[in-house]
Parts: sequence; C-alpha cells; structure tokens
Amino acid sequence: MTKIETTLPTLLSDIEAFYKPKEWHFLSVNGIDLGEGKIELQWIFSKYGVKDEVVIYYALSDYEIPIPSLVALIPSSIMGEREIVDMFGLTVEGTQKGLYLDEDSLQHPLRGEA
Amino acid sequence: MKKTIHIPLGSQHISLLEPIRFKFECENEKIIGVDADVGFVHRGVELACTRSFEFKQVGYVVARVCGLCAITHSLSYTLAVEKLLGYVANDRIKYLRMLMVELDRIHSHMLCLAHTAENAGFEALFMQIMGDRELVMEVQEAISGNRVQFDYISIGGVNRDLTSDLCDLVRKNLTILSEKMEILTGLFDNNWSLSLKYKGVGVLSLEDAYTYNALGPLARASGLATDVRAETSDFPYEALGYTMILESTGDIHARNFVRLREIVNSITMCQNIVDNLPVGEIQEKVKGKPKGEDIIRIEAPRGELFYLVRGNGTNILERVRIKTPTFSGIPAMMEVFKGSQYADAPAILASFDPCMSCTAK
Repeated sequence: MTKIETTLPTLLSDIEAFYKPKEWHFLSVNGIDLGEGKIELQWIFSKYGVKDEVVIYYALSDYEIPIPSLVALIPSSIMGEREIVDMFGLTVEGTQKGLYLDEDSLQHPLRGEA
Repeated sequence: MKKTIHIPLGSQHISLLEPIRFKFECENEKIIGVDADVGFVHRGVELACTRSFEFKQVGYVVARVCGLCAITHSLSYTLAVEKLLGYVANDRIKYLRMLMVELDRIHSHMLCLAHTAENAGFEALFMQIMGDRELVMEVQEAISGNRVQFDYISIGGVNRDLTSDLCDLVRKNLTILSEKMEILTGLFDNNWSLSLKYKGVGVLSLEDAYTYNALGPLARASGLATDVRAETSDFPYEALGYTMILESTGDIHARNFVRLREIVNSITMCQNIVDNLPVGEIQEKVKGKPKGEDIIRIEAPRGELFYLVRGNGTNILERVRIKTPTFSGIPAMMEVFKGSQYADAPAILASFDPCMSCTAK
C-alpha cells in the first residue's frame, strides 16, 4: 500500500495525471474523522493484474471546505462521494444528501462530535 | 410519437430479494434513464464498530452486515487486524479459511442462479438449484455449526477444526454437486426459453466495464480480467487450482456462465484443500492492540470486498471502512439498464446478484 499526499485544490489534476481506466481500478472514497473539525479524505485505487498494488491519495481538510467531485474523471466515484456527504456531512460539488439518510437529515453519524 | 414515462421498480418487488428502488425513465418499453435508491437497510455498522464494540468483538459484528457473505466480512476484518498486530496465520488456518470462503462462493452463486431462473419464469429450475444448494449448506453447517451466520473466523485462527469425518462429508457432497453442475450447465446453455431471456440481454461492454469500474462476475462476464484472488498474496489460491473465469459477451448468459464455471472451480479448490490440509494449530494466541492503518481486499461472491482498519493502540478502533462489491457495482449496473427493455429489468437485476444488506450496511 502506497499513500500519496495531495491537497483539495490539486486533487483533480493529481488524479487526472495518475488514473488510467484500463490500468487502475477505483475502489472508493473514504473519510476518517481526526477530531477538532478535521478530516482525512482518501481516494483508493488498485492495479489490475498486479499483486498487492494499492495506491491511496489522501488529503487533510476541514469539514466546512467543499470537496471537488471526481465524477467527471471516474463516474463510479459517485457512490463514495454520496456516502461521505451522508456520513460526514461534507459538501461535495454536485452531490446531494440522501444515499442512506433522509435528504433533509441533520445527522452526520461518522463525524467526531456526533 | 414517443412518450416518456417514469416507472418505479421496488422497493418491494417480486423479483427482489432485498429492498432497493429503481426509478426508470422509459420511452415506451425502452429504458432511457435510471436512478437508484439503495439505503433502505442502513444499520450504521461502521459507526457501531468504532463506538459500541471492542476490536475483538468487531469481527462478529461485521459478519452481520450480510447473511450471504458473512464469512468474507469477518475474514476481511480479521486479516486487517492481524496485519496491524503483526500476526501471520499458519497454513492450516489459511486453508480452513479459504475452504469456508469458497464454500460460501458456491452457495451464493447457486442462490443467484436460482434467482435468475425464477426471473425467467423457470420455477422448476429454481427449485432444482435450491435443492442442490443444500449439499453445500449441509457442509457449511457441519463445519461451522451454522447455516448462515457462521462466526467461524476469529483473530488468531478459526473456531472449529476440520475432522476426518468432516473431510469425508466435504468430498462426498462436492462430488455429488459436481455431477449436478454438469446438468445445470447444460440446461443454462441449451434451454431454449432461458436463451431467449438471457442471450444478448443486459449487455455490459468491456469498455463500460472499465469506465464504470465493474467488479466480480459482472466484470469478468464482460472480459475484464480482474479478481482479487489473483491480485493479492494473502492466500495460496494458485497452488490450489484457482483459475480466473472469463466470458466475453457481457450479457445475462455470460454472467450466469461465469458463476457456473466459478462454482466448478471452487469445488476443485475445496477438494484440493481437504486433500492437502496442512497439520497445525487452528487457534493461536495473538497479543497486543491494533495501532496504525491497514487494508485488506478479499474476493467475495459478488466481487471485491475492501476493509480499511485504523487503530490507536486501544480496544476501540478509530475507523472501520467497509466497501462492498454491490456498492461499487451500482454505477455499472445502472448503465446496463439504459437501452434495455423494461420487461427485462427484473432478469437483468437478478443477474447482477445485488446484495443490499452489504450496500447499505
């Protein structure tokens, strides 16, 4: 497993330079609450046909900062993005709440202070 | 004049095993757009894993995510924690864990095949497959003590050993099942009414499989060569006869055939496991508390199951991330529906073998 740090402003260009659909399989988006309003966001990839090759791009962020969407680059990222919007109460561009929770729910269960 | 109408399918529907709602936008009978609502059985398992249970209990919690692939959930979590604790299981434990995972794959694939037969209106075939499936269920129950929620895997090993009597039962039942599979394969290949319902229907192209990150049997039916068993080194699959099963047409027929052939391959692997079972303890002491972050990927019956576990050296974990195969496969599934006939939607849906308990977790 290789972890590569990125930032939200450079996320799209970093992923665009890295991701080749026939070479890398996009696993998911992940969030990890760090406390005090901070969160670690992860975008996880595995390589087709190669053993144990997993790359995780990660960025540290605040809950209030909007997250760029990868859907234009990776259409299947929509599910992971909808999930972090629901579970952490984040704002992801072009994504609405309502995957697991009600669309008007005020809850964000995986956020630290929940 | 073409007329656009919206037709819902689900959340409760005769063709569904679990609740999911699709909203189809149709031009006459043709589906041109689709939206999915998947969250009906959300239970907050990830939150419970980091708030309500200690890390030694979490393996039994995640087994409750899904009844069909409970063993792959508990195995994935257990392996992730064992990696954080610096423990590597001996060969006997690895073989026993592989045996249960492959038995699980057989019975899960058979349930899917029965379900697709039912959706094609072939009730007799549904009954036949479900009857044959009991051969595997009997073996799983004898080994683990349970038919569904196995609770067989624990940190440091497995909870019950495989005696020589159990080995004989595995050999006997899987030999009978092998013969049954030949009959089933012939039926799925040659039956005229099944061919009408399956061949050329619900096609996912190879290009779309890459674009939408399809996985598991759905991807392999389209010719995308991906299988976690070939892409990880946690278990010696190749030594036990593993072969990646690929089809090329990407339709329902191809997905059925991937599953049929994978069942045969899993039977071979299970027979090789019981014939070459290493000597060793089935439970070893593992000390410490998980600290740091690690990941595990396991090929569940529906595709890649991914776990990320982060611990801080206490009994309570910081994060347990569960990414299930159906969850990742939904964008590809929705793409398949577009252009299909609405009347084929139930059969197409069944061919995905969706697991909503996993998806919503």
